[in-house]
Amino acid sequence: MKSNIRNFYWCAILFICAIMCSSFVRGIGFANKLAMPYKKAGLTTEQAAAHLLSRFTYGAQPGQVKEITKMGIDKWLKNQLEGDLKDDELNLLLAKYDAINFTNTQVDETFPRAPSIRRFAIDQGYINKDSVSTGNRKHEREGLEAYMKTKGYRPQQELFRQFFSQKILRAAYSNNQFREIMTDFWFNHFNVALNKPQCAAYVPAYERDVIRPNVFGNFEKLLMKTAKSPAMLLYLDNFTSSGTNMPMSDRTMEMMVNQTPEQKRKANERLARTKKAAQNKKQGGLNENYAREVMELHTLGVDGGYTQSDVTQAAKILTGWSIGPIGQIGYGAAAKKTLERIGEQKMTEQGYVIEGDFMFAINRHDNSEKTVLGRKFPAGGGYEEGVELLKMLAEHPSTAKFISKKIATRFVNDVPPASLVDKMAKSFTASKGDIKSVIITMVNAPEFWTEEALREKTKSPFELAISAVRSLNAQIDRPYELYSWINKMGQQMYYYQAPTGFPDNGQYWINTGSLLNRMNFGLALASQRIPGISLNLPALNNNMEPESAEAALLTYSKLIIPERDLAQTIARLKPMLNDPNLQQKVAKAAEKSNADKQNNNINSMNMEMEKPDKFKLGNGKKANENPVIKQQAGNATMLAQVVGVIIGSPEFQRK
Amino acid sequence: MISRRGFIKGGGLALFGIGLGGIPGFVVDAVANTVNSPLYKKRKILVCIFQRGAMDGLMAVTPFTDDFLKAARPSLFMTAAKGASNEKPLIDLDGKFGLHPAMAAFEPMFREKRLSIVHGIGSPNNTRSHFDAQDFMESGTPFKKGTTSGWLNRAVGLLGHEATTPFQGVSLTSSLPRSFYGENPAVAIKNLADFNIQLRGNAAGAKMASKSFEDLYDQTSSDLLKHTGKESFEAIKMLQKTDVKNYKPENNVVYPTSALGNSLKQIAQLIKMDVGMEIAFAESGGWDTHFNQGKDSGVFARNVNDLSTSMMAFWNDLAKYQDEVTVMTMTEFGRTVAQNGTGGTDHGRGSCNFILGNSVNGGLVHGLVNPLAKENLEDGRDLAVTTDFRSVFSEVADVHLGIANDKVLFPDFDGKKIGVMKS
Repeated sequence: MKSNIRNFYWCAILFICAIMCSSFVRGIGFANKLAMPYKKAGLTTEQAAAHLLSRFTYGAQPGQVKEITKMGIDKWLKNQLEGDLKDDELNLLLAKYDAINFTNTQVDETFPRAPSIRRFAIDQGYINKDSVSTGNRKHEREGLEAYMKTKGYRPQQELFRQFFSQKILRAAYSNNQFREIMTDFWFNHFNVALNKPQCAAYVPAYERDVIRPNVFGNFEKLLMKTAKSPAMLLYLDNFTSSGTNMPMSDRTMEMMVNQTPEQKRKANERLARTKKAAQNKKQGGLNENYAREVMELHTLGVDGGYTQSDVTQAAKILTGWSIGPIGQIGYGAAAKKTLERIGEQKMTEQGYVIEGDFMFAINRHDNSEKTVLGRKFPAGGGYEEGVELLKMLAEHPSTAKFISKKIATRFVNDVPPASLVDKMAKSFTASKGDIKSVIITMVNAPEFWTEEALREKTKSPFELAISAVRSLNAQIDRPYELYSWINKMGQQMYYYQAPTGFPDNGQYWINTGSLLNRMNFGLALASQRIPGISLNLPALNNNMEPESAEAALLTYSKLIIPERDLAQTIARLKPMLNDPNLQQKVAKAAEKSNADKQNNNINSMNMEMEKPDKFKLGNGKKANENPVIKQQAGNATMLAQVVGVIIGSPEFQRK
Repeated sequence: MISRRGFIKGGGLALFGIGLGGIPGFVVDAVANTVNSPLYKKRKILVCIFQRGAMDGLMAVTPFTDDFLKAARPSLFMTAAKGASNEKPLIDLDGKFGLHPAMAAFEPMFREKRLSIVHGIGSPNNTRSHFDAQDFMESGTPFKKGTTSGWLNRAVGLLGHEATTPFQGVSLTSSLPRSFYGENPAVAIKNLADFNIQLRGNAAGAKMASKSFEDLYDQTSSDLLKHTGKESFEAIKMLQKTDVKNYKPENNVVYPTSALGNSLKQIAQLIKMDVGMEIAFAESGGWDTHFNQGKDSGVFARNVNDLSTSMMAFWNDLAKYQDEVTVMTMTEFGRTVAQNGTGGTDHGRGSCNFILGNSVNGGLVHGLVNPLAKENLEDGRDLAVTTDFRSVFSEVADVHLGIANDKVLFPDFDGKKIGVMKS
C-alpha cells in the first residue's frame, strides 16, 4: 500500500519534471498546446467563439461566430497566432497608397519636414523674404508649391494620411486580425508619436518593419528592434546622447598615421571641435530619456526595482546608439557624410556598427565602466554592452510580470486577476519571452473565461469605429473620414504625446464629450452620413425588409452584437419604436434627410486621393411625389435609426 | 470614483431650468444682468493659454535700455522713444521694460495693477525641442517623460471638493492636451454647439435617438457607462438652455475671430452658464518665428495683438466675474537673444508670461533679467531662465484655486515662490 503511494508520488514527480523539461527544451515557439477551458466556465462553443472574436479581432463580422465555430475555434486561433493568412483583397485596397511602402530613405527624400522645405524655398528664392513678414500667405503658398513641384517633394501630411488609412483598412479588412490587434498593442507599448516632428516621418516604417512582423515573436527581439529604430531614437532623444570621455581620441590618432598632412589637420580640427562641444555640455551630452523609459515603460515597470543611478548608468551604456546613414537630408545626413568620408570598412574597424537605419557611433560612446541593477559592465564594452543591457532587461523577472500584466489588461480585464498574471509571467520566463506562449497560457487559463472577463472591456474609439464597420460589412472608400470620427471620439491615433501610450482602461475612454460622440457616430454611420463609408443594411438580412421597427430591432441587434444577452436593450427600446406616430415622423424626416444628404455628398466630394462615394438612395424629390418610394425611404430611415442606436448603445461599447 | 460625479443630484438642474428657460425673456435678461446666485458654491476659475511654438519674450516685453540686445538685434530691436522713427514705440512700463505696441490693450490692465508679467520664466530642463519642452511644461515634470498625468489634471484632483459637473476641467481643443492627461475628469470641447445628439438634417430622428440613448444608458449594467451617460445627457440639457450659437458678449465686446478669440469666447459662455467649470485651457499658435518676425507690424505683432485683444475681450465680457477669474499664459521656451540670418529668432530659453486677474500682484515685471552680455546668457546665447515655471504656476494655482499640495501638483519642485500673486 505504502509503496504504491510512493510509486505514485514518484511517477507524479517524474511526470511534472518531464513536463517542465519539455517546456524548457522546446523553449521558443509553441511551448503550450491550446486547451481553452470555456466549457468548464459554462460557455457554449458559439459563446466562446464570440468572446475570442471580441478579444482577438476588431469585431465579429456578420456570420463570423458560426463560421469559426464550424472551422473549430482552436484551429482559428492557431491560424491567427501564425498571422500569415493571405490578404489579397486588403492588398488591393492598400495598393493606392504608395508611401506606406517607402523606406525611411525614400521618406526623407520625398517628405522633408515643412520648416525645412520652407527654409530651402526661401534660400533658393522661391519665396520672397519680405512676403514672410508682410504675411503674404498667397505668395508664400505659391512659392512653396512651385518649389516642391520642382524638387518632387510632397507634404508630410500626405504621408500621414496614407499611414492612417492603411491602419484603418488593415484593421477593418485584414484576415490576420490578431496580428493587427497585437500591432496596435505593441505600438502603444513602445509608443512613438507624430506630435514630435523630429521622429514623425519615421513612424510609418516603425510600425511596418519594427512592430508588425514581430508581434508574436520573442520579446527581446522586439525590444532590440525598437531600441535601434530611428523613430524611437528620435522620440526619446537617445540619438543625441553622448558620453564625456571620448574613447575615439586615441584611436583616431592612430588611424591618422596614413593620412596626408591636410587630412590630419582637418581631423585634428574636427577632434578639437568635438572635444569643445563635449566640454560645453556640462553633462557630456548625456540624455537619460530613453534609458529611463526603457526601464519604466518598456521592460521593468515603474516598480521594477531600478534606481536613478541605474538609469544614469544605462544611459551611459546606450550613448552612441544613434541614427544611421538614412539619406542626404534629415537626421541620417550626418551619418551618411561620415560614412562617405571614412568608408564602412574603416568605420567597422573603429568600432562603429551600421545596421540599416541604425548606427552605433563609437565616437559618442561613453567608454567608462558602468553598473546597472548590480551587474558590472567593464570599460570599453562598446556596442555589445548595450545589447547585453537590453537582453538583461528583457529577461528580468520584473519584465515578465510587467509585460504579462499589460497583455492581461488588454485582453481580460482593466484590473486582471493576479493569479492569471502570475501564470503568464511564468510562461514568459520559461519560454524566454516568447509572446505566443504567454498568450496561449492566457487563453488556457480559466480566468480568461470568467464573468469578469466577458464583455468587461470598453472599446477604444478606434475599436468602436472599426467594429461598427465590420459588423455592418461597410465599405470604406475614404478611411480618413473614419479617422476624423475616431479623433472626435477622443482618440487621436498616433498622436498620444506621452511615451506611456494610450491608457488601457474604460475610465480613460468614456467621458461626457466622447460618449456623446460615440452615439453620434453610430447614427451618422448607419444613416450613411459619413462620406465615403457605404453600407447596405437590407443585404445584411438577406434583403428581407423587417416588418416593423420592432422586428428590425430584434434582427439587427442579434446580427450586430452576436451571442450577447440583449433582453434589456430590446425591452428599453421597444416602447419608443411602438410609438404610433413613429412611421409618420420617420417618413417625414426621410424626405428632408435624403434631400439634405445629397447636398452633403456634393459638399464633401473634394477630398484628394479618395474617390467620392456614390449616391445610394433615391433622391428627395421623388420621395415627395411617389408614395411607394416615400414609404420605402421611410423604412430605410427607420432601419438606419435603429441600427444607429444599436451602434451607439452601451452594449456595443463593450467587448 | 463614480460617486464624486453625482451630478446635480439635488435637483439643481431643475432650478437651473427655471432660472434660464421656463420664464419670460425679460426676467431671464434681468437675471442674466446680475451675477446669478450660484447653484454651486461660487468657485474660482483659472484659464490657461498655451502659446505653442515659443514666444519671443524679449520682443513681447523688451528690456529696451539694454545695449547688448540692441546690438544683437539690429533689425528687430525696438525703442520706447517716441518719434524716433516711423515705427510705433514700445509702451514704457517701468523705465526698463517696454510692452510691444501691438499689445496696447494690456497697458491699462498693467497700470491698474491687474496684469503682472514674469520675465526670464522657463524650464530648468534646457531642451530646445518644442515637443519636449511643451511635454515637460504640461506634465509639470521637467526631467521625467513618463509622468502619466498633466499638471492641470492634477490641479483638478487637488481642488478639494467633489466634482459636481463634467465641466470642472474643460479644454477648448479637439483632443485633450497633455496638461489634462490623467485620472481626474476633464473634457475636450472644440465647439459648444456640437455638444448634442446630432443627425444632420433630421432633427426629429436626433430627438428620438437621444431619448433612446438616454434610456439605454440608464439601464446598462456597466457603472461607468451608466454614470457617464447620465452625466452626458444632463450636460446636454445644461448647454441647451442657452443659445450657444448666437451668443452675445456683454459690454459691446467683440472677440477677435481667431482660434484663441473663439476659444475664450466659449470659455466665457461656460462661465456665464455657471456649469461648474474651474479650470479651462485654450491654445494659441504661430509663435515659432524663425523668419522675418517683424517689429511693430508683421507676424509677431499680429500674434501678440491677437493674444492681448482676445484676452481683453474675454476680460471685459466677464466684467461681473472678474473677481473669480485669473488668466495665465505660458509658452515652452523663449528665443535667441541675437536675431538669426533670416530676420527671425531661433529656439532659446527664458521667455515671459502674463497673468491677468484681480488677485495678481500686478503692475510689475517680476523675475530677473540681467544685462544681456554674453557672459550672462545661458549657453552663451539665450536669455537665462531665472524663474522656474513651476514656481509661477504653483503660486497662481495656490492663491487663486486654493490648492495647497504642491508636492502633488509639481513633484520634485522645491516650492519657491516669487510673489506674482497678492498674498
